[in-house]
Amino acid sequence: MLKTTLAGLRAHKLRLLLTSLAIALGVGFIAGTFVLTDTIDAGFTQKFSAAADRIDAAVTPAPGERSREEPLVPAAVLEKVRAVGGVADAQGLVQGTSALMGKDGKVAGDYPTAGVSIVEGSLNRTLITSGSAPKTPAEAVLDENTARIRGFAVGETITVLDSEEVKHEFTLVGLFDVGLNQELGFTGAVGFTTGMAQSMTGEKAFREIDVAAAEGVTQEAVRDSIAAALGPDYQVKTGKDYADALARQNGADTQMITMGLLMFGLVAMFVAALVIYNTFNILVAQRTREMALLRCIGATRGQVFGSIVLESVVVGLLSSVLGLLLGYGLGAGALAVLTSVGAPLPSATAALAPRTIVLGLLIGLVVTVGAALLPARSATRVAPIAALRTQVEEHTFRAGLIRVVFASLFLVAGVGATVAALGMEPGQAALIVVMVGGSLVFLGVLTLGPVIVKPLGAFVGWLPARLFKVPGRLAVDNSRRNPKRSATTTVALTVGVTLMTLIAVLTGTMRATYTQKLDDQFPVDYMVQPQARDSGLPRALAEDLRSRPELTGVAAFRQTMAKVGKGEDEYEVGTFVAPADFRPELVTGSIDVLRPGTAVVADYVVKGLGLKVGDRVAVRTAKAGAVELTVVSTFDPEVADLAGVTVPEEDFERYFGAVGDSRVLVNARDGVSPERAREVVEAAAQPYPTAKVASSTEVRGEFDEALDMMLMIITGLLGLAVLISLLGIANTLSLSVHERTRESALLRALGLTRPQLRWMLSVEALILGLIGALVGVVLGVTFGWAAAQTMTEEVAFRLPVPQILAFVVLSGLAGVLAAVLPARRAARASIVGSLASG
Amino acid sequence: MTITGEVGAWNARGDAAAAVVARGLTKVYGQGDAAVHALRGVDISFATGAFTAIMGPSGSGKSTLMHCLAGLDTVSGGQVHIGDVELTGLNDKQLTLLRRERIGFIFQAFNLLPTLTAEQNIRLPLEIAGRQADRDLFDRVVETVGLRDRLGHKPAELSGGQQQRVAVARALISKPQVIFADEPTGNLDSRSGAEVLSFLRTSVHELGQTIVMVTHDPVAASYADRVVFLRDGLLVSELVRPTPQSVLDTLMKLEA
Repeated sequence: MLKTTLAGLRAHKLRLLLTSLAIALGVGFIAGTFVLTDTIDAGFTQKFSAAADRIDAAVTPAPGERSREEPLVPAAVLEKVRAVGGVADAQGLVQGTSALMGKDGKVAGDYPTAGVSIVEGSLNRTLITSGSAPKTPAEAVLDENTARIRGFAVGETITVLDSEEVKHEFTLVGLFDVGLNQELGFTGAVGFTTGMAQSMTGEKAFREIDVAAAEGVTQEAVRDSIAAALGPDYQVKTGKDYADALARQNGADTQMITMGLLMFGLVAMFVAALVIYNTFNILVAQRTREMALLRCIGATRGQVFGSIVLESVVVGLLSSVLGLLLGYGLGAGALAVLTSVGAPLPSATAALAPRTIVLGLLIGLVVTVGAALLPARSATRVAPIAALRTQVEEHTFRAGLIRVVFASLFLVAGVGATVAALGMEPGQAALIVVMVGGSLVFLGVLTLGPVIVKPLGAFVGWLPARLFKVPGRLAVDNSRRNPKRSATTTVALTVGVTLMTLIAVLTGTMRATYTQKLDDQFPVDYMVQPQARDSGLPRALAEDLRSRPELTGVAAFRQTMAKVGKGEDEYEVGTFVAPADFRPELVTGSIDVLRPGTAVVADYVVKGLGLKVGDRVAVRTAKAGAVELTVVSTFDPEVADLAGVTVPEEDFERYFGAVGDSRVLVNARDGVSPERAREVVEAAAQPYPTAKVASSTEVRGEFDEALDMMLMIITGLLGLAVLISLLGIANTLSLSVHERTRESALLRALGLTRPQLRWMLSVEALILGLIGALVGVVLGVTFGWAAAQTMTEEVAFRLPVPQILAFVVLSGLAGVLAAVLPARRAARASIVGSLASG
Repeated sequence: MTITGEVGAWNARGDAAAAVVARGLTKVYGQGDAAVHALRGVDISFATGAFTAIMGPSGSGKSTLMHCLAGLDTVSGGQVHIGDVELTGLNDKQLTLLRRERIGFIFQAFNLLPTLTAEQNIRLPLEIAGRQADRDLFDRVVETVGLRDRLGHKPAELSGGQQQRVAVARALISKPQVIFADEPTGNLDSRSGAEVLSFLRTSVHELGQTIVMVTHDPVAASYADRVVFLRDGLLVSELVRPTPQSVLDTLMKLEA
């Protein structure tokens, strides 16, 4: 029996290959994910252990106390550490904000660059990639990326703002690599000598203190003596432990990536399972006579079952191995791409961990064999007498009662869950219920597939049947003749298209909702903000903008953090200075209720402190001590973009003093061109290097870009599932073509030309593709809509029609593409040979 | 040799109104030592409006001859004419169009598309050619083969005999220059077979159809106007106005 199976497999190498490819792609994706993240992990660990070689102990503030400010190590502690016996050297690391100025005289980038200290001596962990480290306070270094983007070269003079926004000039003496510090990688960084770093950033304390032990003192010994000297307020770790902790922290990040990517891998495997299931089903149907012959000559049911399962084991193993190789390539490729676009990744060679190999083989094998079990069972039902029948009977399909009952149960439960979720308060719980409902409905559609595929085939095939005459009509008939097969083939495609449509609808809706909110919130043309979000702009800027005749409706917002209520909770307390026609929408009453001694409060503050309108709430102010304010109204921050606790301007002035503007909104006067208005705003902002001008279209553009990026990545990842389902279409078609060899020959004899025969098969694939896409689009749109409803209130639903049309058209085209090879083979077959076969 | 004389006479007479003519037809499968000479130089013509049967023992080349005559297979040497068109030298597309326009087929089995109804199957050649069926002809053909009440059925719902009658109707509907029938009764019981053969004969005599039929059944062959015998790829004998007995006798002689 084993020999028979293996001989059969060898005889059908191509069939084997197509089937394997589906599994191999799925396994490859999963393995690739592991290769990528393992390699990144390994690289991090490597890099951190290199760092551990340099330092023998690290002092950081003790964890536990949670406050808004990052805990620091005061400068005095450094002196204490240096005095500890066994310490050869100790250096504090400074990190704060010091905004680099671009060559245009404005601060560079959307976020201020960080200012860091570059330590001297053996404790320096910063990698200087060109030039040298700063040796005098007049020298500075830049991270490579910032230098490249802003166009600075070693030897030039750079201007940097200190924490008081005073300009300082430095000679750029070198460039450095930010390494694994993602924060620095994101903002960019300027490196100074330690003293200059302290004065530039205004940070007198340190992030951490690195210690080198004296000759002959172990890491543990120096750690213990420092810990004894500093007491429980500080955490002291050996260099090795410190490196391990850093590596673990990064490991958590990569784990998130792994989980996210694995989700897509699982979708791909699900689709692959459908493809395998279908393939084995068709193979079993086609080899009915072979099976019957085996039974005739004495094979038991168990042996027939075993032979199919064995076949699936071989296919599963081969494709998993292929998948592992593919995964290794994918992982290495992704690393290469990520490195080439400048992602801050450590360099390490891609590694295929034993766990990846075991998991890849296991998943591939389990999915393949699992999917083949049902077909194998139906193979055992073949009666020996079937060997003697000459003609394969047409499969007639009847919707069984069990099928209908199950499908109805799934559908009712799914729709019920979804409707229930729509009635719930928007939030994560509702979203999860919608997802569960969606999955149930999908199961219902999957079960009902063979029933709906016939009418859908007629519907989708209406145009092709008229357009392509005889080949078209025959194709439509063929696509409907074996509903079970067509259904499974198309459902595989439906999975991908559903998810893609869902994401497209969600992003489209988010975009529309956001735009609408943006328009509601600031019906403004420009917004001026300081580069560092928590700092303020000089009030003169708003004054200047108000004085410009081209501009109107200048509204300035100020805010600061303060303790509100009885507890220690801090909220933003703020005010606004705006013309009378600025009327933020409140839940009750108008903004006119805001009188001295009162406040309007955001609903999240109300909820957090358990307040209601009419209550009095305590606010600890900087200048006026504790004050009691009357809550006169509340507002929804998504509708009115005000500080959590908003008070009248004069009150704010009295409570907190001259706080700068955190945001200035500006409109162009009617009739002023956008270019002109922009020029005016830019000119007003020019004297203030930290002031960044954004137009509402720019803000929208940034959001659009982020959404587009997300849409692209997710669509790309789902593309894999679609690719696998196309393999399924190709496989089904080529098996059907094989099955219909004589039919094709008959048609050719009756005068169907080769191109017509090819067309016939292409149209059949087109119809299969379109059915899959259509069901996917309907499901995707429905559940995209439902999911959007659960995200926030007042959703502006948008149907991304062009994208959805593109999905449908591409699915159809892809189907046609999948038919190319089978169609060629069918058209090439000799008529006489085919008539004789079978 | 009286037999050879008769062959010559038929050829001479047939050429004037021949529907199909083959000259020096050879067909070789494979190469070198493995080469099989299926046809070794066949000269034959089929008169318009006649019902001819091709007979011969297994491996005599009768099916190959039919495939070559019908443009389903390429020839190794010689010429084939269907009416005034020479087949050898036509490319696949031209051959396909020729089959579409001038040739009808009836096969032993697997004659019908399972997805189409009887009526759709009958009309299929016309539809492929993009032609309209002559309503009168359709009615007459359907009447002749007695399928009026079966037109809406799928092949799976028809008996073997009915399926073959549908195939006959389909071959007749496009009024082809010649119909090639390959063992049309091979899968049928004798009563259904007799029916189908009668229809074929009727269509020759009443509709003036030309039919070439390959068969190994002497009874089937006896429905034809003329039987030609093949052995080892050569035309060896023929009978005019055959009876089952005379066909059987000739076959026995050839086998001996």
